[in-house]
Amino acid sequence: MNSASMTSNRRTVSLVSLGLSLLLCGCGDAPKARFSWSKETDDLTPMANAWVKRAVLQNFGTPNELVAWERLPVEYGGFAGTVTAVETVEGGGTKLTVKRGEGTTAPASARQLLWKSGARVDEAEPDGVASIVAGETESTVLMAQRLDPVPDVGDEFVLNPGNRLLDGRRSYLKNCMHCHGVAGDGAGPTARYLNPLPRDFRRGVMKFTSTRPGERVSRDDLARTIRDGIPGTYMPSFLLMAPEEMTAVIEYVRWLSMRGEFEKRLNDELKDFSRTAIAEQGKNARLEYEAAVKNDPDAERPPTADELATRAEEDFRGMAEDLEFVFVDAGDLMAGPWERADATDNIITPSIARVADTPESREKGRVLYLSQKTKCYTCHGSTGKGDGPATEDFWAITGSSETYPERGLHDEWGHLVPPRDLTRGQYRGGRRPIDVFRRLYAGIKGTPMPAFGGTGLTDEEIWHLVNYVMAMPFEGPSTTTANPSPTVATSR
Amino acid sequence: MEGRFWTLVFVIFAAAALAACAVAPAYQLWFPGSGEALSTIGARIDHLFYVILVVIAVVFVGVNVALGYVLWRGAKQPSEVKAVYSHGNQTLEVVWTVIPGVILLALALYQMDVWASFRMREFYPQDMRTIAEVTARQFEWRIRYAAPDKTLEADPHPDDVYTVNDLRVPVNRPVAISLRTEDVQHAFFVPELRIKQDALPGKRIPVWFEVTRPGTYDLVCAELCGWGHYKMKGRLVALSEEDYAAWLKQAFEDQFDDGVGEGEKSD
Repeated sequence: MNSASMTSNRRTVSLVSLGLSLLLCGCGDAPKARFSWSKETDDLTPMANAWVKRAVLQNFGTPNELVAWERLPVEYGGFAGTVTAVETVEGGGTKLTVKRGEGTTAPASARQLLWKSGARVDEAEPDGVASIVAGETESTVLMAQRLDPVPDVGDEFVLNPGNRLLDGRRSYLKNCMHCHGVAGDGAGPTARYLNPLPRDFRRGVMKFTSTRPGERVSRDDLARTIRDGIPGTYMPSFLLMAPEEMTAVIEYVRWLSMRGEFEKRLNDELKDFSRTAIAEQGKNARLEYEAAVKNDPDAERPPTADELATRAEEDFRGMAEDLEFVFVDAGDLMAGPWERADATDNIITPSIARVADTPESREKGRVLYLSQKTKCYTCHGSTGKGDGPATEDFWAITGSSETYPERGLHDEWGHLVPPRDLTRGQYRGGRRPIDVFRRLYAGIKGTPMPAFGGTGLTDEEIWHLVNYVMAMPFEGPSTTTANPSPTVATSR
Repeated sequence: MEGRFWTLVFVIFAAAALAACAVAPAYQLWFPGSGEALSTIGARIDHLFYVILVVIAVVFVGVNVALGYVLWRGAKQPSEVKAVYSHGNQTLEVVWTVIPGVILLALALYQMDVWASFRMREFYPQDMRTIAEVTARQFEWRIRYAAPDKTLEADPHPDDVYTVNDLRVPVNRPVAISLRTEDVQHAFFVPELRIKQDALPGKRIPVWFEVTRPGTYDLVCAELCGWGHYKMKGRLVALSEEDYAAWLKQAFEDQFDDGVGEGEKSD
């Protein structure tokens, strides 16, 4: 072989390898996905920040490795029940006869088997389940290899633990993540093009619920929102989604909300360790010093920023023992309301049927609408156009002495939220009378729309308002302003 | 020899194309669903399609046979025989202009009825009823029906019934929808009925059809309308007259649910 052909050979080889490496460009392991941290977490001092992150990661994991925290009222899925018989099959396998738990059905195949022997949890080899024969009440699970240790009769088992959460994650990443973000932070790639913005689940608050004032969203509420969409926003209807998929995605959304809420609760507990709080402390100390130094030139100098930061870290270290409680408390305080959300007595049911939609009822509603008792008109405007005087005010930021820089109402997420134009006939939370009733009864959670139910107004009064409000799109604006009744004239 | 090779390439290519068309229906590569149009106007549109397909098939076969023949003969011809140039043959040109012209004109006249009855108000079926207003928006279909026993009007009424992504119609009766869009252009497309109509901002476009078989059919958007275009899908449910009436009544009741009475309905 002469040198010329060798060069050309070498060139061919290098061209081919270049081509191959170009082809494989971008292959390999995908980057690990992560749940974003909230602004508040990022604002914590290094130690507090690390602790919050560790606590959240430990209990919720990452998008790739979800953690099912048993303390939470989440149905993680899987086929659970008790072992009723154990047999060793010839050829080395183990055959389990199992009784299924309530509300679960045996899968056709399984990737994971866990069982609880006393206090110990054992796990079968991955993919060790050879076959499953589902029966009416008892099913048999055949393992390819002999189980070691062998489960006892009466042990609790679960096949495919966390299956629902995993299905939910798949569906969420396909259908929801684009707007709502991986962590449910409402900051997905599409979010910046949307107005109104997608919901940030991380406060555990959803606007449109059927539950009592201040209560969490129920599964049925989430199902309704997913099925019907939210007119007037970018939330579309997922009517054609398979029921199991919807159940799974609802569970995942609840779980994501809890993850965010847990993080928020820890942040609230550790507020004093945020950089903002420390800066505020420093500022106050400086002001105090400036005041004191006028009388006493030898007044103690205020601590520097570095000193304050060091002191915060020391304080945090001193708190180490209490942290365990903070964490457990946060979990328990959070679990209760979520658990309660689906209870029947937590769903608002009017004590009386809808008051007949007569002109008299609407008139009563109109008077209420314009009264000082409800002050509906201050935000929604006397004609219902959503242009009440309150939209011209500068509103205070919740939990702060400052006001928002722009005029108008803001929601808990800090976004400008115009009061609904009631003459348009567009109802984001549903247009059934009961939906409007519940909006008035429990308010719109996370927004300045207050709850009138129970204390402020009687159910009958709410129905009058419902009748009035639902008639608004069909009546000219003149009916509300042309002949203000004496009550209205004085109340304004 | 080389000439014969090319003859075979061209002939085999044409034969393969024909064969692929012939077996396509058996592999579900033809029209969606059963392959049959499930609306009266759809059946007429399919008929036109097949007429055109036959004309095209005849032309396709004729052209390819002629091409194959010419190539084959040319390949057999000894190389010393001179080629004949027929360029500028007026008779030939007139013939191949007039024949397609006549065919096109015939097709244009033949399809006029279908076009008129689908698109022109004067030719709509006499007993047609507008049953729903379909408003497309990014990325769903919002639908408004009149209350049971009422007629749909252009303006919303307090007793209207609303659904989303779920259009229900009675079968064996010409029905129309009033098509609108809230934002950009969309297109109302029910492939199994062969019904497709663009929705234009600011316009209210009537679209009529008569479904011939009860069932659930895909309703999709056929106009690229934004990033979520692909997920803008709903369903069209065709019901018998009684089922439709029963459904509308139920939907009306659900719509005016006051949360008291037989309790919360989850659907």
